Amino acid sequence: MPEYQNLFTQVRVEAPSYPGVPLERERDNRERLGSGPHIQLFALLGNAQIGPVYLGFLGIASIIFFTLGFTLIGWNMLVQVNYSPIEFIRQLFWLSLDPPSPKYGLSFPPMNEGGWWMLSGLFITMSILLWWVRTYRRAVALGMGTHVAWAFAAAIWLYLVLGFIRPLLMGSWSEAVPFGIFSHLDWTTAFSLRYGNLFYNPFHMLSIVFLYGSVLLFAMHGATILAVSRYGGEREIEQIYDRGTASERAALFWRWTMGFNATMESIHRWAWWFAVLTCITGGIGILLTGTVVDNWYLWGVKHGVAPAYPEIWGPVPDPAAGR
Amino acid sequence: MAMLSFERKYRVRGGTLLGGDLFDFWVGPFYVGFFGITTIFFAVVGTALLLYGAALGNTWNLWQISVAPPDLKYGLGLAPLKEGGLWQLITVCAIGAFGSWALREVEISRKLGIGFHVPVAFSVAIFAYVTLVVIRPVLLGAWGHGFPYGILSHLDWVSNVGYQYLHFHYNPAHMIAVSLFFTTTFALALHGSLILSSTNPAPGETVKTPEHEDTFFRDIIGYSVGTLGIHRLGLFLALSAGFFSAVCIVISGPFWTRGWPEWWGWWLRLPIWS
Amino acid sequence: MNFKTKILSGLPALAALVLLVGCERLPMDTAQIGYRGTGMEQVTNPRIVAAEAPKHVAPAPLDPVDAGGPRARDVYQNVQVLGDLGIGEFNRLMVAMTQWIAPNESCGYCHNLANLADDSVYTKKTARRMLEMTWQINSAWKSHVGDTGVTCYTCHRGQAVPAERWFADPPTKTAGRMLGNDNGQNKAGKASVVNSSLPFDPFTPFLLGSQEIRVTAKTALPTGHDVPIQQAEWTHGLMMHMSDGLGVGCVHCHNSRAFAEWNQSPPARITAWHGIRMVRDLNNQFMLPLTAGQPKNRLGPTGDIAKVNCATCHQGVNKPLNGTSMVKAHPELMAAPKPAAKTSLLPAALIESAPTVR
Repeated sequence: MPEYQNLFTQVRVEAPSYPGVPLERERDNRERLGSGPHIQLFALLGNAQIGPVYLGFLGIASIIFFTLGFTLIGWNMLVQVNYSPIEFIRQLFWLSLDPPSPKYGLSFPPMNEGGWWMLSGLFITMSILLWWVRTYRRAVALGMGTHVAWAFAAAIWLYLVLGFIRPLLMGSWSEAVPFGIFSHLDWTTAFSLRYGNLFYNPFHMLSIVFLYGSVLLFAMHGATILAVSRYGGEREIEQIYDRGTASERAALFWRWTMGFNATMESIHRWAWWFAVLTCITGGIGILLTGTVVDNWYLWGVKHGVAPAYPEIWGPVPDPAAGR
Repeated sequence: MAMLSFERKYRVRGGTLLGGDLFDFWVGPFYVGFFGITTIFFAVVGTALLLYGAALGNTWNLWQISVAPPDLKYGLGLAPLKEGGLWQLITVCAIGAFGSWALREVEISRKLGIGFHVPVAFSVAIFAYVTLVVIRPVLLGAWGHGFPYGILSHLDWVSNVGYQYLHFHYNPAHMIAVSLFFTTTFALALHGSLILSSTNPAPGETVKTPEHEDTFFRDIIGYSVGTLGIHRLGLFLALSAGFFSAVCIVISGPFWTRGWPEWWGWWLRLPIWS
Repeated sequence: MNFKTKILSGLPALAALVLLVGCERLPMDTAQIGYRGTGMEQVTNPRIVAAEAPKHVAPAPLDPVDAGGPRARDVYQNVQVLGDLGIGEFNRLMVAMTQWIAPNESCGYCHNLANLADDSVYTKKTARRMLEMTWQINSAWKSHVGDTGVTCYTCHRGQAVPAERWFADPPTKTAGRMLGNDNGQNKAGKASVVNSSLPFDPFTPFLLGSQEIRVTAKTALPTGHDVPIQQAEWTHGLMMHMSDGLGVGCVHCHNSRAFAEWNQSPPARITAWHGIRMVRDLNNQFMLPLTAGQPKNRLGPTGDIAKVNCATCHQGVNKPLNGTSMVKAHPELMAAPKPAAKTSLLPAALIESAPTVR
């Protein structure tokens, strides 16, 4: 293809590291830990500069809690393979730290029967919440809106529903998700098996619509901006307060294609809401399962949503009926 | 009519792939073009066939309507209309409509003097659809392997095809695709948030600059990909998600018939540790 | 496009190729199970099927014998369960059993060769009980085995100990420790649950015990049916074994949109339901009581006897031995021989003619 498509940067300019917009308090500026290397591989796609990173009390505390939680999970897994590092790597995807057995309800179980899971969960949750405050504070310190923090809050909602709120409502920590690669996938399937097929949960449907929609939107938006990057389309802030030919062509592309369009600002609102609603509706769908609805397929049948297929075999009665 | 304040100067002749000036006009806000005509043709015929298929069924309930592909016994041939042939015709119309839409987007891009990234990106999605209803069925030897056209029925299909492999979550390409879906959504949330936070700052503040955006992300995670980079990254993540989704289904059946957990045996049996 | 760009843009395709390397190849065989478009299909690899076909071939039956003549109990001593068989049938069955279970060790595997009647070798008592078990399967469990029935070969396949059987797992070392409880799951490489990280012993609760397998609620709204999610993982683990043992996917017995609903399930599910009950019956009534008579090398790590699961008979195909009915050549295995008024198994009409019982 002879024409340059602006997918990878051909000429990568080396420049001194940019230390960041100065913060109001001098001690905040000192919290920024110096600049790291410039990675030329990254320069193909975007900025090469690594760092500086703002440390701060919240950030450090968050990392400490995360490390604690992560290490507890890893240590439990390591013990499962008798401290063999080779077996740890070999079996990694299967290893897991599981929530307590149902018999403990909401009480604190013995450490090796779910107690470590609860402790790790607590540490990781604290890490996440501290990180949330960090995203809020960094925005405020720069005089920016707090949209990142509120988007993060939607994801935290889903996380808390899965690991805390729903188990609380169901009266058992055993309902929560294990820490493990294959094991959390087993949990997902078991959840759907137990509750009569989650595809029939309308909030699950909504969440998927927003998930696929988000991917669709980012493909559309990313492609659109790249298509008008020859007119400076990626300079979105400036295009928002001073509409240039990039925004105009981008808008017209979609208007002519599908009859309506967004603006350079509003597309980011579409994006924000689709991504955030993925987590909000997902959390609602999980929360309603087991508490309000016990079998989503039967719920679907009740509400006229389940299709009926022609019977191609004779009646298949339940052998257990009447026994 | 229905033109934006700045639109008139962009409505110029040219950029068409086929048909020259014949279809180079707008209807309301919509650009027509030769491929607009073909889109309308395929879309109308396809929708009419869908309605006919719904009428043949037992319900008009939107959630329950389903037009199913043929039985496997018809192989790669044309099935009787009411026994899956309708599904086949609708699929042809769908591919025709999607292809027309993509080519129309190319014409619009040419007219506007912008890159072809959008129709190329859309082609990845079309590829995923074609994988599901053409490529995989052809590899397995029957059109009947396609998914039914129905809101709930296509979900039943997903469930059953998945459980053929005992635990579809263990499909490695599926794991990659799902991770890419979640990462794309995450990145979209970050990007949307970032732009909005710069242009809708705290009360009393002025609109911020790209330097603020970079600083925000460097403060938080030590790296900022930048204004151009995020769009490349987002496009790449989204298209990879679609690509690996297509991969994960095309390998299920044609290139793997056992349960997906069993596939991981090769890792456990590597000579370095077995 | 420069070299680096070429590499980067080719990465997704390369990743896809790497995935394919661990896979199978075309063409595949497909079979439709459910209504068209439901996705209820079975895809099989004909090369794998062909490679495993020899495993599922039943040996040719022995030549038939005269059912008449003296009864076995009148000729031999200590014939406790086969006494009512004709002597020819008895001997033929002994030869068959040797072929089916101990082709290399021959008669000495069960018998004290100095005195064929004595029970000193443990395998003889075990075999006697196994004969009773075979009759139980073929008469009381027609709901599962139909008229096809089973013989010793169905499980044993020419080996003293069937290739497919299960023992209880020893408690994991870490169970009593401060850390590292694997919760009975999360282990790599467990064939019992086909390499997933699901609970790896679904057999003890469901195929030895009678723990409830069903986990789904029968109503849309909650009615206090408090089955935890972890319980569904156990059921899933059992179902993984059943699928793997029969070489089928879940949709062989279920429409996965509603696993629990019988009105959505193919008829095979009924057969499977009876199969589970049959296995429980065999393990509890026949296998467990045999434990005391077994030497150490026949017991598992916790001292238990080998037990039956779906794979024991099925060995990876939907119908054991691909549906071959071996009992047709050994009708004496259909049910425990009943002592007739006359000392013959055959109806009166056939006694005078030359029987060619097959």
